[in-house]
Amino acid sequence: MKTAPIRLLLLVVGLALLVVGCRADDDEAAVDDEPDDAEEVVEDEPDDEPDEADEDDEADEADEPEEADDDGVAGSGPGVTDEPCPDGVNDDNGCIYLGSLNDLTVGAFAQAGPLIQDAIEAFWGRVNEDGGIGGFDVDIASNVRDNEYVPEVQTEVFGEIRDEVLSLGLSLGSSPTLAIRDDLEADDMFAVPMAWNSDFPFDPVMVESGSNYCVDSMNAVDFYVAERDDVDSVMSVHYPNDYGQDADVGVRLAADAQDAEHIGVQSPPGPENQGDAIQAIAADQPDLVVLTLNPTDSAAVVGEAVAAGYEGFFIGHGPTWNVALLDSPAADALRAYFWQVGPYPTYDSDTPGHEAMRETLGDGEVRNDFHTAGWVSQYPVKAALEGAVEEGTIDRATVLAALQALDNVDYEGMLPPDAGNFAGEPNDRIVRGSNIGEPDDDSSAGLVNLATEYVGPTAEDYDFTEPCRDSY
Amino acid sequence: MTQLLQAITSGLGQGAAYALIAVGFVIIYKATSVISFAQPALMAAGATAVALLTGQAGLGFYTAVVVAVVGAALLGAGVERTVLRPMVGKPVFILAIITLGLDVVIRNVTNRFIGFNVRPMNDPWGLDRTTLLGITIQHRHLAALVTTAVLLAALYAFFQYSRTGLAMRAAAIDQEASQAQGVNVGTVFGLSWAFAAALAAIAGVFIGAGSTVDQQTWVVGLKALPAIILGGLDSVVGAVVGGLAVGVVEALFATYQGTYMPWLGSNFSIVAPYVLMLMVLLVRPYGLFGTPEVQRV
Repeated sequence: MKTAPIRLLLLVVGLALLVVGCRADDDEAAVDDEPDDAEEVVEDEPDDEPDEADEDDEADEADEPEEADDDGVAGSGPGVTDEPCPDGVNDDNGCIYLGSLNDLTVGAFAQAGPLIQDAIEAFWGRVNEDGGIGGFDVDIASNVRDNEYVPEVQTEVFGEIRDEVLSLGLSLGSSPTLAIRDDLEADDMFAVPMAWNSDFPFDPVMVESGSNYCVDSMNAVDFYVAERDDVDSVMSVHYPNDYGQDADVGVRLAADAQDAEHIGVQSPPGPENQGDAIQAIAADQPDLVVLTLNPTDSAAVVGEAVAAGYEGFFIGHGPTWNVALLDSPAADALRAYFWQVGPYPTYDSDTPGHEAMRETLGDGEVRNDFHTAGWVSQYPVKAALEGAVEEGTIDRATVLAALQALDNVDYEGMLPPDAGNFAGEPNDRIVRGSNIGEPDDDSSAGLVNLATEYVGPTAEDYDFTEPCRDSY
Repeated sequence: MTQLLQAITSGLGQGAAYALIAVGFVIIYKATSVISFAQPALMAAGATAVALLTGQAGLGFYTAVVVAVVGAALLGAGVERTVLRPMVGKPVFILAIITLGLDVVIRNVTNRFIGFNVRPMNDPWGLDRTTLLGITIQHRHLAALVTTAVLLAALYAFFQYSRTGLAMRAAAIDQEASQAQGVNVGTVFGLSWAFAAALAAIAGVFIGAGSTVDQQTWVVGLKALPAIILGGLDSVVGAVVGGLAVGVVEALFATYQGTYMPWLGSNFSIVAPYVLMLMVLLVRPYGLFGTPEVQRV
């Protein structure tokens, strides 16, 4: 026992070394990444008053040679420097820093976060290779923080990068993103929430690309009716959260439109907790089950319900799918009784955007639709930056204004042509077209497109006067 | 009646896995007086090891299980020796917090191995089932029940008839007295962690059987907490009864609550074991099989 204090001491020393080492890394990163180094070009405070950045000020700033780049674009404010990016492609360019609050280690979507990060870094790498935007490269790798998918953590890590970035190119999860929503608006920032709730088109600082869960639910039911059979009953097995509730309302609206019974079944996360849902499916025998779960739970529900004799059909939302399910015990049931509905065509699709994404990402062990989600999400940010360049200024207020003026975004064919309206009323902003996929063993994402940009009658006619979840 | 038996059978199958994790908790608690919160992580690590060994390394399922269980036992013993042994004598609360830290570390490392895809367990049972007298039994549940029964019988024999088992029982009763009789208490500590980790790994196999392993699999391990409190923190029998009870109560509520007690709301089956636990504690504060603590005042 005499050695105990020594070991404890060694442990403390080891931990201290670890902390110091990590801190040193942080410091080095801070030096490398330091936007403050270029603060001499920053005249505007990261204030809460976008109106103060009025035309006269902008003109004055643009007139100052040290602040304007070769293209005559003045960059100012947090997250914009005339120094090149740490890993920038163009040495003569300044740098625009975007933040990424991602679920990277222990959160519910930690298996998705790193893939999404890879995709968004690849997206901006391609933009930078093409010369950047208005004399600036874009950096979305220097200010990455792990939000653990926890709102409290999100608030903390957002505070760490709040003054270092122009806006958030990624904020994974609706709940974490909503936790900092008011701060974003106060700072003229926006966020790409990487969630597809129907709330976001109602919010001027949220950048959602593609159809939302509510629309996808509507299209799932309508597509099944159009392609397979009429339905007398539709069950929605969903998580008791914003993801599940938004989707459930869409199922209910579509079921009502089809004169079918809607059966809502809340189911908590965990395959061992799906017993209630499986019992409900076996007891009610609905014609169609729409799943708003994660992959493991979806496989448990589909596999066990089919094994128990259920002969209906399942359609799962985007997050229900993982290619490895085709190696799971539920694989046969999934191949026979499952479609997936989501905002985008699958990873292997042949649109110009998909081809560019695959070419940029290159080969890798894992290539799936989390990459697609990350890649697609950045097009509006790019369009907003280009809009600000046209105004001659890149700062928070100008970029946000440019974003809110977008009535269309070129997604290189990855989304329907009318997608990317951030200027209209919420009802006009909502993308109505969904992608339907079916399991396929030969594709990298395990899915092949059954229909793209499908718009069913329910989604087409529905007037979004409020987020779906408000009527849950 | 068939539906009732069906629910009980299914619950027992699921409860068998909970029981294995719970027994691990109890073994560590009896030996060291510490509640190890690292059990869920060890369970997930074992499940992940089997999934990777069968999927990536191409090992046969049973070979993979043996390798994973031995590996988990070594990990458990190693963790005890390097992290917890030096802290012997410190307040139990501190040791429990250390096990929380271990849980986080082991989970993070395990998650790295799980990676970006869910991991199929590649078990031989899958979702196969057999109907016997009108009752459908999933093979994985049957396997879990049989395995649990065999393991418990083996543990019973070990503790009753082996010298090491006797030493572990003695240390559990009184560490200083057993030390005075020549029992190496440190070895007992290490063995208890090795047993607990091995049992957790086997439980993980049955948690993942017929399904997949992902980064949230560890959460299932928390189901053992109501089980051990229900059965009694220092009773192996109590842990088994508690684990099975949790599984059965969950299954019964999943089957009948929607019909007979819909006013309880959705998914009450998850809460039901905790309600049962509270009801038992009101009557028996030390659990069904726990030892009442006597204090001189």
